[in-house]
Amino acid sequence: MVITEGLTKVFKAEGVETIALRGVSLKVERGDFITVMGPSGCGKTTLLNLLGLIDEPSAGKYYFFGQDVYSMNERQKTELRKRNIGFVFQNFNLIDDLTVYENIELPLVYLGWKKKERKERVEEVVGNMKLSHKKRLFPAQLSGGQQQRVAVARAIIAKPPLILADEPTGNLDSIHGEEVMNILGNLNKEGTTIIMVTHSQSDAAFSRKIVHLFDGQIINENITKV
Amino acid sequence: MGIAVFVFIFLYVQSELRYDKHWSGSENIYRITTDYRVSENSEQIALTPFLLAEKIQNNFPEEVEYSTKIFFSDPSDVNDMSSLIYNDEVYEVPDITIGDSNVFRVFDYYFVEGNKDLSLTKPNTMVISTQVAEMIFGDEMALGKKLKTHIREYTITGVFEKRCKPSHLSFDAIVSVNSLTEKNIELLNSDWFWMNCYTYVKLKPETNYHDFENALNDFSGREIKKFVEKAKININGYTDYSLEKISNVHFNKVLLYDNPGNTDKIYLIVFAIIAGFILLTASINYINLATARSLKRAKEIGVLKVLGAVRYQLSLQYISESLILTTLAFVIALSLVELLMPQFNHLVGKDLTLVGSLFSQGGIIFGSLLVLLIFVLSIISGIFPAFVLSYLKPVNVLKGNKMIVGKGGNQQYSAGRLRKFLVTIQYIVTIGMIISTIIIYQQMMFLKKHDLGFKPENVMVINLPQDTTFNDRASEFIYELSGEESVEQVTLAGNAPGYTAGKRMFFTDDSSKIMSLNYFMVGQNYFKLLEIPLVEGRFFPEFDAKDSTVYYIINQAAADTLKMDTLIGHSLKTTFGLDGKIIGVVRNFHFSSFYKNIEPLVIAFSGKRARYALVRVKGGQHDVALAHINNVWNKYNRNQYLHYTYLDEKLTSLYNSDYKMLSLFTYFSIFVIFISSLGLYGLSSFLIEQRTKELGIRKILGGTANNILLLLVKDYLKLVLLAGIIASPLVYILMSKWLSMFAISIEISTWYFVLGILSALIIAFTTVFIRVYKVINKRPSLALSYE
Repeated sequence: MVITEGLTKVFKAEGVETIALRGVSLKVERGDFITVMGPSGCGKTTLLNLLGLIDEPSAGKYYFFGQDVYSMNERQKTELRKRNIGFVFQNFNLIDDLTVYENIELPLVYLGWKKKERKERVEEVVGNMKLSHKKRLFPAQLSGGQQQRVAVARAIIAKPPLILADEPTGNLDSIHGEEVMNILGNLNKEGTTIIMVTHSQSDAAFSRKIVHLFDGQIINENITKV
Repeated sequence: MGIAVFVFIFLYVQSELRYDKHWSGSENIYRITTDYRVSENSEQIALTPFLLAEKIQNNFPEEVEYSTKIFFSDPSDVNDMSSLIYNDEVYEVPDITIGDSNVFRVFDYYFVEGNKDLSLTKPNTMVISTQVAEMIFGDEMALGKKLKTHIREYTITGVFEKRCKPSHLSFDAIVSVNSLTEKNIELLNSDWFWMNCYTYVKLKPETNYHDFENALNDFSGREIKKFVEKAKININGYTDYSLEKISNVHFNKVLLYDNPGNTDKIYLIVFAIIAGFILLTASINYINLATARSLKRAKEIGVLKVLGAVRYQLSLQYISESLILTTLAFVIALSLVELLMPQFNHLVGKDLTLVGSLFSQGGIIFGSLLVLLIFVLSIISGIFPAFVLSYLKPVNVLKGNKMIVGKGGNQQYSAGRLRKFLVTIQYIVTIGMIISTIIIYQQMMFLKKHDLGFKPENVMVINLPQDTTFNDRASEFIYELSGEESVEQVTLAGNAPGYTAGKRMFFTDDSSKIMSLNYFMVGQNYFKLLEIPLVEGRFFPEFDAKDSTVYYIINQAAADTLKMDTLIGHSLKTTFGLDGKIIGVVRNFHFSSFYKNIEPLVIAFSGKRARYALVRVKGGQHDVALAHINNVWNKYNRNQYLHYTYLDEKLTSLYNSDYKMLSLFTYFSIFVIFISSLGLYGLSSFLIEQRTKELGIRKILGGTANNILLLLVKDYLKLVLLAGIIASPLVYILMSKWLSMFAISIEISTWYFVLGILSALIIAFTTVFIRVYKVINKRPSLALSYE
């Protein structure tokens, strides 16, 4: 499903070059649950940004369902991203001015769904995520766990085959963290591919494979489950 | 810049309001105007009979301190006295008039030389302004020196200072009324219906002007009755005099024969409103930016509060910061005003100085107003962050919670609505200005293109000398003028379109039905030259010294007024003894300005006496023609300036105040657009920066560049549209009032409003787009790392 070859990312700031990723090659099969681990600054988030098409690499290739992603123009990449990739962030990244309902609905708006279809789908997901009674509230009126549930709901609303999760439990207590991990685990069981960045060993235990990054390079890949 | 433009408009309005307020005892000085009714016709004119001033002085010693008369003269139309000769050099002084010895007692001009009380008592004396004195005599004393016109010599008995005293009186030189011949004075003193002078009175402080007005009308009623009986005039009408406060004269646009430089007060009101709005707009920008910036300073406030700062300290800090900024802005603005003053003076046709205004009458008020403005602006601009932000709870600020959000959340206040309200007000002004400018422009273009009923292009109007020696040679002069290829047609004329015309009393069969009709005297070739077509009858016959019949040609409006079945050949009688017959009717033409409908006009033939020579020149050959005209002129009129005007330019000059209004509106509109765009750009920059992260999230979730652009722009466009809806009816009311001043005017079309609002939308869109464009092309990953 996802193949990268020699992905490299160099940041330049005020004449100083920082190499965030050095030739990362990765292969992700459909239905995989992969955890990327490593110390702070090793390039985990950078890798996730490149996979999520929200940043450009300095070198390397990226194939998504066999398509050479980096040869696409911006519009094609936006199209590919909105149809295939869902995002969950450590700090939730919800839009404060929109209600829970509107936040979850947003990807469908950009996909051009009709209002009625959107309503049905949002109601379904909101129900599954146990957020029905919170849908008219604003993010600031929710707890961290609830906010992350909203973020997950938003990530899965368009049924993307791939979910990229960047430290999804980083800002949550253990109970809420586990709740979110259970949701991701269940999604994976239903066939959604998940690539997750985390520091947490217990979160990593939900995945099938752990990729260890160090100084922008993959140092080993462990299969945790078969 | 907002402050600078405000000061400019303020100075302009202030200088207009200062007209004629500087005379000592100005509150007791009045101009007498005439309400002149004959049969069904009623006319309000600024002129009075010659004898009125003296009658008042002699008959109302208890009520009146002084009364004086100044002869009517159209400053845009030169007269015989305009060429002054000194040491064989000819100097042109167009604005020269005649007045009696009380002129300088009523109007206390400062005299640089001479004694103001004695200056105009003797015959053949003249008082000149310092400008004229400098022009003719340089540094030498003017007093006692002799100036000649081509018929008379005058002794200079005084030099007055005219500068920096705005007045409706514009003369540069004034000749004593005793200089007129005794015969002329006797003639003028015997007629109550010959209106040719402006009469002014300075009442005693204890006199009630209303009582005096009644007493004057009682008195004049009796005198006129005696005069009518004595002269055996059969007139069914009366003359009523009114007193007009001297400081109101400059704002009177309704009287006939009044100063064309008078202004309608509506312009001042509009300019004052614009000035207020410009200041408001500039303040709004400042407030908007202050609130937007306050977001960035929220953390600073949190820290200060944790360190023990209390609300009043924080408030004081914000207001003092604002005070420093506003004071600085004022200093820069005033420097800018001083720097751009020459250009502004050129634009408005004035001689304003900032220092002059500060140290003039009312300068203290101006200065205090500026200081007050600094404080008011500082407080308004500083009050928002001072009061609202200092309410913030430090814990929320330090945690980095969002302090200003539109809806929901744990925000402690919302500045969104205030900002939207302020932006809407800005755009109401902007759109109002744009639409008004469009309408004024359309109206002026409409007037320019409107069919006048004659062809004014390439027609030169030459002012002729008024002495009998020239009159005898006028035909010869005209004949010589026509002897050059570049000259197409030439005619003599007593009157020309756009120039002041007189009225006379006419009647047809029933002598009790007297009508006051406009009266022109023209030469043989007049209609042909101006291309005014005949509707009925014939033009004037060739001049025949043996034929003593008086022939009249009338316009269609007069034909409608006379209401007769057969006009041609019908007699037209006058109260002044020139009974004649109507021989033709010409098509209506605009002989006056577009402020009035075409009125009835009677045109008489004048074979010899003429005030003007009209010359139609071949297009593109003006220089050749002018050289020829100059040669002929010098042959006939030595030591006299050739005064000429192009007829089309003269007609355009009738709307000078409207063109001035158009150019001021255009400049102010551009400025208001600029200042509100600047405000919108600044505001959107801050707000977009606030939303950087949200925009990143939206892009990640699949938002395209167009989605994002629409999201950011639509809020502003909605506000602009709302502003347009509010501005439109206001503009409609104001512009309808302005257009009602014209007898012919454009219809206010919906398209002007659509165009105005559309322009504002495009300007707002472009402004926001320039800012949004940068954000659209940012990588979303950068946006996510933005805090």
